[in-house]
Amino acid sequence: MNSTPTDAAAPAYNRSRQAREAETLLDRIEDDFPDNPQAMRYFYDLFRNVYCHGEPVRHQGTLVGTTCIHAPEELIYAFGATPVRLCNGSYHYDQIGADFMPAKSCPLVKATLGSLHAKAAVPNTQSLELIVNPTTCDQKTKASAMMEAMGYKVHDLELPPAKESEEARLYWQRSVRSFALRLRELTGRKLTRNNLKAAMARTARAQAAFRTLHQLRKSAPALFLGKDAFLVTNAYFFDDIDRWTEAVEQLNAELRSRQTEGFQAAQKRAPRILFTGSPPIFPNLKLPLLIEEAGGVVVADETCSANRMLYDMTAVDEWLLNDMVDGLADRYLKPCTCPIFTRNDDRQRRLLQLAADFNVDGVVYQAFAGCQVYEMEYRSIADVLAAQGIPMLYVETDYSPDDMGQLSTRIEAFLESLKTRKRNKQ
Amino acid sequence: MKRIRDAINGVDLRRFRFWLQLFFFVLLVYGGYLAVNLGQYLPTFSCGFNDAGRGGICYLLPLQHQLAMSWRTLFGWAGLMVVQGFLFFALWFFVLNKGWCGYVCPLGTIQDWITSLRTRLGIRYSRYTEGQFRRLTLIKYLLLALMILIPLGIGGALLPHDMGTPFCDICPGRMIIPMFTGDFSQLTIDFSTKTTTVMTALGLLVTGLFLGGAFFKKRFFCFFCPMSALHYLLSKPALLRLKKDGAKCTRCGDCYRVCDMEIREIADEVKDPRIMQDDCIMCLKCVATCPEPGALKATFAGITLFESTEQGFIKRMNQGHNDEQHPH
Repeated sequence: MNSTPTDAAAPAYNRSRQAREAETLLDRIEDDFPDNPQAMRYFYDLFRNVYCHGEPVRHQGTLVGTTCIHAPEELIYAFGATPVRLCNGSYHYDQIGADFMPAKSCPLVKATLGSLHAKAAVPNTQSLELIVNPTTCDQKTKASAMMEAMGYKVHDLELPPAKESEEARLYWQRSVRSFALRLRELTGRKLTRNNLKAAMARTARAQAAFRTLHQLRKSAPALFLGKDAFLVTNAYFFDDIDRWTEAVEQLNAELRSRQTEGFQAAQKRAPRILFTGSPPIFPNLKLPLLIEEAGGVVVADETCSANRMLYDMTAVDEWLLNDMVDGLADRYLKPCTCPIFTRNDDRQRRLLQLAADFNVDGVVYQAFAGCQVYEMEYRSIADVLAAQGIPMLYVETDYSPDDMGQLSTRIEAFLESLKTRKRNKQ
Repeated sequence: MKRIRDAINGVDLRRFRFWLQLFFFVLLVYGGYLAVNLGQYLPTFSCGFNDAGRGGICYLLPLQHQLAMSWRTLFGWAGLMVVQGFLFFALWFFVLNKGWCGYVCPLGTIQDWITSLRTRLGIRYSRYTEGQFRRLTLIKYLLLALMILIPLGIGGALLPHDMGTPFCDICPGRMIIPMFTGDFSQLTIDFSTKTTTVMTALGLLVTGLFLGGAFFKKRFFCFFCPMSALHYLLSKPALLRLKKDGAKCTRCGDCYRVCDMEIREIADEVKDPRIMQDDCIMCLKCVATCPEPGALKATFAGITLFESTEQGFIKRMNQGHNDEQHPH
């Protein structure tokens, strides 16, 4: 592995640049907005500890890195290991990772590679024993060999490129079963009905808490802001799952009492935004923050760093190992709206339903420059939304802060147009 | 009102079904002892060969008898009797639609009991491949056609009279259901003629397949049931309906996972709101296992009886997590 204790002597510079990036953002998230929920304190502190002070990621047993939402975390927990999502949102690591990928590639993949390559990276995952790399988009698929070259053990979790057919489903179920075998090899433990059931119950509880939070965002005017929601789901990448769930349950309780008090976290007229596309990952919360600093409020999202990661729940008919594992496999494949699959009608339908359910005024579509699949789906999504009369702003961006000024102008103009529309409707 | 609705939508469907199925099983298999008689047009396998205990008679038995009348009688005044019988059958059917299969049919209930025995033993289920499914699903229509054509052939003196009621001969219900009232006499081969020998031997074979098949495959027999085929042909105007709101569906496939009949359309179809397929037994497990509010629902005469909710899903799956551990 790359980071060895001998590196500990010289992390100061790297860490400080990383830390500054995180610190600036956390300050904006906390200080630029009044009325942050009390329960968000837990998450602000968590990010400060992990990103600014370099506190190691807490884990029980073997630490297993995942590079995508397709890696079934319940299996990892069942083997007594702890998953940590490695997808990285730091511009600093994006620049380091640029050595591995062509110039016009996805900043998320570059930053992930960069953080794995960096010495004393944050979040601090020094004891990583395995990386599960689902073969999703081309760039992530090709990253496998590069991570291996850095000295990591990598498991390619083979994902089919289509998800409609029964063949794809069975292929993926087999793929998930062989992942379970790999974990058994790694941990020396056995997968049993009881430990899988217990692991699934933990995730199910986290998902139930997420769903409650998600539903609370239907409230109009908004009870809290989208930047906080993204921070909460981002924390799920590396936080202890039970602590995370408790913190979210507390947040839910606070939001419920806000609801009964008639509290407003945003103006009544604030345009309600549905966020979709490439995932905002801390510290790259650039776009959601710009939206909310300009007076909009992100009320729902369709991204793999939030909704897509936690929304869909596993169903089991017979609580036997085979049905549980296959059920997990199905949950990670069938409802997924990732643009890497052949068709995107599920994503279109999901966006329309979210727009209707959350009383959305407009959609912001973020595409990372180099994230081809989102760029390619832009047109079809734009058409479907236009047909329903839902305005959309398409933003191509990356992790660099250079385009902030330009973006904030565009976003302000978009929000202004939404406000005018709303006024004219009334 | 909302509280009642929440309670219904949060129901533990597994338990609810178990008790309701048990109730109907007792009614139809032992009801005769309590002088229950629901007539001879029941759209479910309330076996007529269970002389002592039956609470009503499966319509397929009188239907085959009637169709085997000589053609002169059948196409004369007696034809009206057949039509009348069919109407009674249809009226019964319209009430519950295929709910007769998932909640009332004693043979279906027996299969569910066998399934729960299997899970208690910790043995996994088997499934068909998609190709097998597409072919096998046609067999029930073939059986339905034969069940009508053979008696007609007998009536026209084209086929030997001892073919009698051909479907009953091979139906596992004829051998199994009377056993519940202590009557094992059906469990034999009738050597009186060559035809009866063949038909009853076939019946014995099917019964063996039924017991073995149901152990490994959920609702093994329902897949081939000609009654199910007949139901489907009449299902359009039925009062109990299964509906899907495709816009709310995420196609997560949870419903398909739990479907005993392996019906893929339940998960994949998002355009047609009338989602019930020919193999459906209306057990409503799909509704109970759908996490999307209002995506699936059961309605009766347009009134929603039971619909999918997030809370209901979470509650039911949680029950799974907390299930008592079965001994290994």
